[in-house]
Amino acid sequence: MDNVQTRLAIALSIIWIAGTAFIPVCVAQTGDIAVAVNQKNPIDHLSTQEVRKIFAGEKRSWSAGSPIKLFVRAPGSRERVVLLKLLGMSETEYKRYWTAAVFRGDAQSEPVALFSNGMQKEAIGVYPGAVALVNAQDVKSGMKMVRVDGHMPGEAGYPFN
Amino acid sequence: MHCNRTVIALLLLTSSLGHAQDTTPSERETIQKLVQQVKELQEEVKLLESQRVSDANQSAVLQPVGGPAPEEEKAGSTERQSLAQELHELHGIQWRGFGEVDYKVLNQKTPELGTYGFVPGSSGNFYTGDFDLLLTSRINDKASVLSEIVFGEEDAQKFGVDLERVLFKYDYNDHLRMSFGRYQTGIGYYNTAFHSGSWLQTTADRPLIMEFANDGGPLPTQAVGVSVTGEIPSGKLGLNYIAEYGSSDTVRPDLNKTSIRDENNGNHVNFGLFVRPISIPGLQVGGSIYHDRISDFTRGPSVRLGQTIANVHLVYTAHGIEFLNEGFLIRHNYEQSSIVYNMPAFYSQVSKQFGRLRPFFRYQYINANPGSLFEDIALRQGPSFGARWDFNDNIAFKTQLDHTLRKGQPDLNGLHLQLAFTF
Repeated sequence: MDNVQTRLAIALSIIWIAGTAFIPVCVAQTGDIAVAVNQKNPIDHLSTQEVRKIFAGEKRSWSAGSPIKLFVRAPGSRERVVLLKLLGMSETEYKRYWTAAVFRGDAQSEPVALFSNGMQKEAIGVYPGAVALVNAQDVKSGMKMVRVDGHMPGEAGYPFN
Repeated sequence: MHCNRTVIALLLLTSSLGHAQDTTPSERETIQKLVQQVKELQEEVKLLESQRVSDANQSAVLQPVGGPAPEEEKAGSTERQSLAQELHELHGIQWRGFGEVDYKVLNQKTPELGTYGFVPGSSGNFYTGDFDLLLTSRINDKASVLSEIVFGEEDAQKFGVDLERVLFKYDYNDHLRMSFGRYQTGIGYYNTAFHSGSWLQTTADRPLIMEFANDGGPLPTQAVGVSVTGEIPSGKLGLNYIAEYGSSDTVRPDLNKTSIRDENNGNHVNFGLFVRPISIPGLQVGGSIYHDRISDFTRGPSVRLGQTIANVHLVYTAHGIEFLNEGFLIRHNYEQSSIVYNMPAFYSQVSKQFGRLRPFFRYQYINANPGSLFEDIALRQGPSFGARWDFNDNIAFKTQLDHTLRKGQPDLNGLHLQLAFTF
């Protein structure tokens, strides 16, 4: 009896670990990177260049006038690699760029760098003007994916992968 | 690797369930009870998750504009500390510091370009340049405050404090961003792109035409007033404007520090347009025109002249390349006489990042009329070249060699070493 319970517990634990930890990582290594905004944000589509302007801090408010709140992933993540590729910068250039932008008064601070997509999800849920690059497989409730150049993540021609 | 682990986990599950099917009826009942309990727990977790999301959305609506979210307040203190350090934030005030230590040697024994601790009789000297503290604070979603305080070295290692910038900023939207207070005038590109922090600029010093007026530069680089900027709807062209109205009140020393000239400026108007084409990120092309009235006390106590400064610029900064080009025409038109001086100037600077190394080259030219207010500058031109080495994201070392040809004076050669840092 104890033996059966132990085996069942072990099996369920393994399923849980695999389900919560390993499977998303497996997908995250290959999935498209979505431009995610707060669910209440009316924006539906952007061009690649508009996304670049947003993450370069050149476009600072949504079309309705509400301020854009940028969230980025900390160095070492795939979302960060896509961000730097989008901006055409190295990690060093990125830091220098934002230091200069703050110094010019073009930005109040460097975008908040978060350590996980879970934190990005929380941040996007909290700030109505939030925008972040998130692995499409990790886009959860409270977040909305934006069409880029007419394509959704997973579709052919989607630019961020 | 992770996929393999998942497959192994599924195989283990299958084998475990296989064994479970060979059990007695009482054991089956126990298993069913356990499975039921797991299902109930899963449902409970789902319910809690949905409640949490609902709370998060609710707090987003209830959250005061610009204030911290309750979720953020729950974050671990260690995480907050590391984020605060990363963001240079202290009690809602973002701060950033810049400093420099310089050594400059010239092949002449008279001072040049202000004092910077220069001791007549020696040909080279150490100085600390500007020690710069930048503070910014967000008041709400649209309003913020920026201040820049500089401790600058004066003669004989005395230091003066200067409030370089203090601005109340209000960003209504991308088309209308307003600043009120002391700002750096939007004449061209360099003055608004690079401020007092030497760490930000590639070269060890600013081009002479863009040198701060209190260090001998000819242009009114700072002013108090209102500055408005923003995007003009123009599709892929990326057209922007800048408009300023204020008082520059320029006081500049001669380059050889023999006298101080107070221009006693009237209010100025400055208007500029520039494009940042969406299809070429990093490219900026534009121009500006500035006008004010100043005094020439060398010609009399009430001699006034109109000063008009036209600028055109072409800049490309992307993919590790920095290519800066600016041209100026300074026009001094004396009132109550027919004297007009047109004084052209330009600089061109190119650099490219190779790993931590960024070699650079700059050529600059100013042709000021000997009878004008800028007689100490006169005609001077020449190349500067050197390299910047970034030890890390905060510390850079620059070496710069200058060769300047001067009308009526011997050529001037200089070596400038600079350790620039930010913190």
